[in-house]
Amino acid sequence: MSHTETEIPTPETTHAHEPQVLKPERSRLGLMRPDHGKSVIIDWLTTVDHKKIGLMYGTIALFFLLVGGIEALIIRTQLAFPENDLISAQRYNQLFTMHGTTMIFLAIMPLNAAFFNFLVPLQIGARDVAFPRINSFSLWGFVAGAIVINFGWILQALEVMGLFQASGPTAGMNDFVPAMGWFGYAPITGINFTGAGTDFWIMGLQILGIASLSAAMNFVVTIVNMRAPGMKMMRMPVFTWMTLVVSLLIVFAFPAITIALGQLMFDRCFGTNFFVVAGGGQPILWQHLFWIFGHPEVYILVLPAMGIISEVLPTFSKKPLFGYSIVVFSGAVIGFLGFAVWSHHMFTTGLGKVATAAFSLLTMAIAVPTGVKIFNWVGTLWGGRVRFSAPMIFSLGFVWMFMMGGFSGIMHSSAPADAQQQDSYFVIAHFHYVAIGGIFLAVVAGIYFWLPKMIGKMWKGNLSTWVAIFSTVGLNVTFFPMHFLGLLGMPRRTHTYLEGFGWETYNLVCTIGAYILAFGIFLLVVDIIRCFRSGEPAGNDPWDARTLEWTTTSPPRVYNFAKTPIIPARDALWEHKYGPENRRITFEDDHGHGIHMPSQSWMPFIASFGFIPLGLGMSLMQAGIPYMGYFAIFGLVLIGMGVALWAIEGPGGYHLHPEEDAI
Amino acid sequence: MSEAEYHPLPVATESHKDSETEKYHAFVNLALGLAAITGIELVLVYLPFNTVFIFTVLLSLSLFKFIAVIAWFMHLIYDKLILTLAFGTGMAIATGTFIALGFLFSRGNVDMDAITGF
Amino acid sequence: MSDTATASHEDGHASLIIDNKKLLMWLFLGSDCMFFGTLISTHLIYRKLYPESFEPTALFSLELTSFSTFILLMSSFLMALAVSAMHKGELKSFRRNVIGVIFFGLIFLGCQVYEFAHFVHEGLTLSTNTFGSTFYMMTGTHGVHVAIGVFWLICMYFYSHTGKMDAHESAIDVEVAGLYWHFVDIVWIVIFTAVYLIEFI
Ligand code: HEM
Ligand SMILES: [Cu+2]
Repeated sequence: MSHTETEIPTPETTHAHEPQVLKPERSRLGLMRPDHGKSVIIDWLTTVDHKKIGLMYGTIALFFLLVGGIEALIIRTQLAFPENDLISAQRYNQLFTMHGTTMIFLAIMPLNAAFFNFLVPLQIGARDVAFPRINSFSLWGFVAGAIVINFGWILQALEVMGLFQASGPTAGMNDFVPAMGWFGYAPITGINFTGAGTDFWIMGLQILGIASLSAAMNFVVTIVNMRAPGMKMMRMPVFTWMTLVVSLLIVFAFPAITIALGQLMFDRCFGTNFFVVAGGGQPILWQHLFWIFGHPEVYILVLPAMGIISEVLPTFSKKPLFGYSIVVFSGAVIGFLGFAVWSHHMFTTGLGKVATAAFSLLTMAIAVPTGVKIFNWVGTLWGGRVRFSAPMIFSLGFVWMFMMGGFSGIMHSSAPADAQQQDSYFVIAHFHYVAIGGIFLAVVAGIYFWLPKMIGKMWKGNLSTWVAIFSTVGLNVTFFPMHFLGLLGMPRRTHTYLEGFGWETYNLVCTIGAYILAFGIFLLVVDIIRCFRSGEPAGNDPWDARTLEWTTTSPPRVYNFAKTPIIPARDALWEHKYGPENRRITFEDDHGHGIHMPSQSWMPFIASFGFIPLGLGMSLMQAGIPYMGYFAIFGLVLIGMGVALWAIEGPGGYHLHPEEDAI
Repeated sequence: MSEAEYHPLPVATESHKDSETEKYHAFVNLALGLAAITGIELVLVYLPFNTVFIFTVLLSLSLFKFIAVIAWFMHLIYDKLILTLAFGTGMAIATGTFIALGFLFSRGNVDMDAITGF
Repeated sequence: MSDTATASHEDGHASLIIDNKKLLMWLFLGSDCMFFGTLISTHLIYRKLYPESFEPTALFSLELTSFSTFILLMSSFLMALAVSAMHKGELKSFRRNVIGVIFFGLIFLGCQVYEFAHFVHEGLTLSTNTFGSTFYMMTGTHGVHVAIGVFWLICMYFYSHTGKMDAHESAIDVEVAGLYWHFVDIVWIVIFTAVYLIEFI
């Protein structure tokens, strides 16, 4: 990620025109605050600027998208031919587990977080998020969790080289990489069945959960409290609305998995009986707790995508979003209903007639607000002056592909039908249509739409068209045949298969499709790098867009808005440009106060860094490495110290006096 | 929330003090009530009444304590509606989810012979 | 305005509906409802599944638990007084009340440590059966919450002696700590009824 960092103008360069020279101050601890430093690395490590944090989230997430993609390619290559033995069954388990975990928690969620961070303060006319230092804590917590979850690969490599063997409670089990599926069903996560990989998974997810929770609370407070004057709730861009809904979903859904993971950890480390069958534990309880979190989680993944689409479609149809309030409302309904359908993942466990019927009906009900949104998007296009720019092409792809995923979703909302589909490739087809056809395409649309704003450079040429063609064709070639594979009875998570079931051709086609899709993603990376290296200056508003973020410079300056804007209408910039006189954006007078900027800080970084020794220590202890308990305690101390010093050092801050913005 | 808090430490306007005094009385009464209820609960479980009756009474008493602490000690009734919404949503989702979850577990689904732990 | 004021005050945004920290705390508490909801419902579910696996009435001492419930309720009362004192700007009365809260909190923790030690002595451990697992984890998590609260208040107490207290900000900080404390109290109210009292009818 280093090349992106140096490309972004640092505050020093953006402030070159400012007369005053800022000097770092001492915090209440007596230490120098890392403000206005010369070192780029320290600047990025200690930053509390939501834009830099957003860019870091994005870069790291794209990296993990590639990692997860490579894992997927290995999986698909293994499945290309019957009885292939490219990788062992054990390795296969590790790959699909890490593929799912990586894609969901380390690629899509942080990609969404990248957009939240970069855009939400700009879209509501705020200077930053409500708690800038918590924001930095969330970012580095995410990095710590990612490291802990992936650490098993290193141990695994050592084991293959004969340099390491487990000797602790998991002695004799050489799976140091998680290998029990992204939902980690009990009892395979028990101490008797899986090795230290499960511990890495537990600790890593726990850390990621804490990071997500703190970020989500931060965003709710930001959106409720930090809106510029006149930015009423019903004037907010839909993307900001979806951020609010998603953040609330995270706040209320994650505790279930936090506790479930805690119980599982106790089972493994301290001999409790939560999910241990012999001691009376009920593995089914894990399934419930997981999906109480898990179903809201899939909406946590998809609602930001819907928000992106709701911004892109109006911009490129030159029309307001059709039925704004309905779109917002149905987003909120989806979020709320999302808590009431978790058991549709468990129809085949035998819930009883009443429960099955109830969850089946509720699942069908949730398709209604989803459908409403699709109609609204189509309504937005209707009669608009549609421009087929890159973001628009991907957004149109989203509407179609997401709808296909929704259809198969509705198909398995019917419990009898689901009994045929559950745990088969049909489900794989369903969630890859919503995840790749839906979320991935929307995120790419978002990248094409907002990257010029983020880095100030415009896209060159039309490589984007080829990205669109390869990724859409690739995803359909990969996943459409999986519907048939599923109905032909091919179970998911099977590392190879015999000839003669009629699965061979489909599997080969799927594998070819996966490579086409991968080539599309490769082109995307190439295009992004090209944009970084040789893009022309983008200007403030390259797309003739509608919302407030486009009034700032590209890239926006550290303080976002020189003066707080006063928002007269929804689609603020559009009304400002083309609306009547009384809808112009005006600016608050700051009476020479200047802009209050929060100070940078080491403490969030230190506190979240402590998660690494804590997570690794707890896991390596299980694998039998000596002194790891102390290492974990050291991590705890580091976290405690970081938080305590953070509280004591005080927020600090300094003032900037920029020249006025003109739009 | 009144303006008075924005003044430096020792200063407080009279009206603000009044409202705080009013709150003080509410707090004292509530504390006494809570203590009394805890006493009642303790006695109640030993009384030879119908179980369902005791169960209902216990439930409503603890619900009362729960709501009272939130409303007065935690100032929710004096405060902005948005706080009630923030907390209430979490409370409602939690209650709904876990009541549903409770109903999803039944003894009929458990194979007691498979459990060797006790 | 002092430099400790949050950015939001500086920016003077019109939509500032409620103090940032307070809203954050209430959201956290809403989230904590799910957190404790999971713990308590796990306990109750296993209790319902295996009613005969364990007979807690022999072990539980209702007198002790009622006493600690009472203690926690009274600490909540003092906490409310402390918050109100802070709003009135009466530092002395704030300190008096906070000391009371800390003291009561420590008594509660003491009772819990005694209770755990007693139960373990009687043979109920984390791994005895599902009752042991769920009971210790639930009450233990609550105990950790209390301990964090006590630690937080001790910090506040010492901070009030440094003379750096800022009327508005510190009143909010104390109020936020108070909200946390009261929440820990209401969680105990639920546990007291749902876990202890119910066993005796
Ligand atoms: C119209 C809306 C939707 C409906 C009715 C629906 C319904 C379902 C049902 C019933 C299942 C369980 C299938 C089984 O295991 O047998 C399922 C699985 C799944 N859905 Fe959806 N879904 C919808 C939208 C989404 C969205 C938007 C996403 C995410 C972005 C998503 C992601 C998933 C995932 C990841 C799984 C599989 C989990 C696993 O077993 O590993 N779904 N869906
Ligand atoms: Cu679902």
